[in-house]
Amino acid sequence: MGHKNTFKNMFKAALTAAAFFLLLFANTGLRANHAEHCENPDVKPSNEVMHHITDNHNWHIASFPVGKCESGETEYFHLEIPLPWLIYNSEKGIQFFMSSAAHENGYEIAEGELYLLGQAPEEEANHGGPEVLEAIEEAAEEHAGVEVEPHGPTILDFSLTRTSFQMILIGLVLLLIFMAVAKGYKKNEDHAPKGIQSFMEPIVMFVRDDIARVYLGKKADKYTPYLLTLFFFIWFSNLLGLTPFNSNIAGSTSVTIALALITFILILANSTKDFWLHIFWFPGVPVPIKFLMMIVEMIGLIVKPTALAIRLFANITAGHFMVLSLISLIFILGKNGAVPAAGWGTAPVAVAFTTAIFALEMIVAIIQAYVFALLTAVFIGQAMETHDHDHDDHH
Amino acid sequence: MEALAGAGIGAGLAAIGAGIGIGRLAGSAVEGIARQPEAAGEIRGNMILTAAFVEGVALFAEVVCLLIALG
Repeated sequence: MGHKNTFKNMFKAALTAAAFFLLLFANTGLRANHAEHCENPDVKPSNEVMHHITDNHNWHIASFPVGKCESGETEYFHLEIPLPWLIYNSEKGIQFFMSSAAHENGYEIAEGELYLLGQAPEEEANHGGPEVLEAIEEAAEEHAGVEVEPHGPTILDFSLTRTSFQMILIGLVLLLIFMAVAKGYKKNEDHAPKGIQSFMEPIVMFVRDDIARVYLGKKADKYTPYLLTLFFFIWFSNLLGLTPFNSNIAGSTSVTIALALITFILILANSTKDFWLHIFWFPGVPVPIKFLMMIVEMIGLIVKPTALAIRLFANITAGHFMVLSLISLIFILGKNGAVPAAGWGTAPVAVAFTTAIFALEMIVAIIQAYVFALLTAVFIGQAMETHDHDHDDHH
Repeated sequence: MEALAGAGIGAGLAAIGAGIGIGRLAGSAVEGIARQPEAAGEIRGNMILTAAFVEGVALFAEVVCLLIALG
């Protein structure tokens, strides 16, 4: 009976989510722009890899070749989920539209950046190399101090990108799972956990007992919810990032820096007098060393959250890089279809290696979530530690 | 081209450093667990924590190399 109700509730929640998405896409649906879809069919591995691991203004699912263009290039149909854009334009005010209507509203995307239609830099300009950059810098230096009339309106981009959309999705997934778990505790009070509840309980207990209580002592229970949120958010985002069509949000520095910033704020909020004393006037060492320690400890204070952000970002990005590079190997060795035998020969090896990497990434997904939560607990614990001032006697 | 070569060499050196660090760390941890199996849980926790620190330094280097290669 309990099961039936849980499923009914989950079904209701899923229905609500589906209705939400339908509302979001109702006015545009899945449609493609017909202009500018003539492309060179050759796969450029570096471009493909960068396209996959960076954030986008729409949700690209797949591209199908549908014919030949006059220029001899292949015409593609891009299957994309349009995302809502919210743009502040100093001339036109606040604009809200779906990414599929970007051209009609006068915007375009080039190299992942938003531009007014027709103002995106030409391909060549981007590959101008250091000489062009130096020339631009010199020109800028010459004109320093001269007020330059801004040409065109100021544009602030608050669009819902692929990464932020994926974050909302992960939030919904977590909400569905943990609402079911919480209901289980209400229903099976004083009984053994059931269903998904019995899967989550050991993990929650692990975070509480082996991370929070070990490093945070008395204040552990206060920070367990934050650590659990970190752990499950990072774990699920990493896992979802490994499934097709989803983006890896932990591979975006914006996300990891935001998470690390929250931890940094918690470190500062919990810091004791002792913590700052050890930074600015390290006890128990000669005075010249105290000044040296001040510099070292100041760097350490900043490096801790920075390392948190970079560790998560680099680990997840490296995994996706490896998968995409191994798959790209087929196209590199097969010379984009010019040497089919080499391509077909590489394919099984590449797929086998990719499968192994995927297995590794499944482990990395949970290890990185564990390490992030663990280090957060360690750093907060360090900040609120109080020492006995007996350094001088013992050293 | 030189920048690309530098980035490649740098990434390799960082990987060597992290490899030596984590290798030594894991070796000692396994030895410790073999001597004292009842402390396995504690040793494993400390091992992962320290490995994360070692890896963090290496990842700083790798990200710098990546920026050189892409920029």
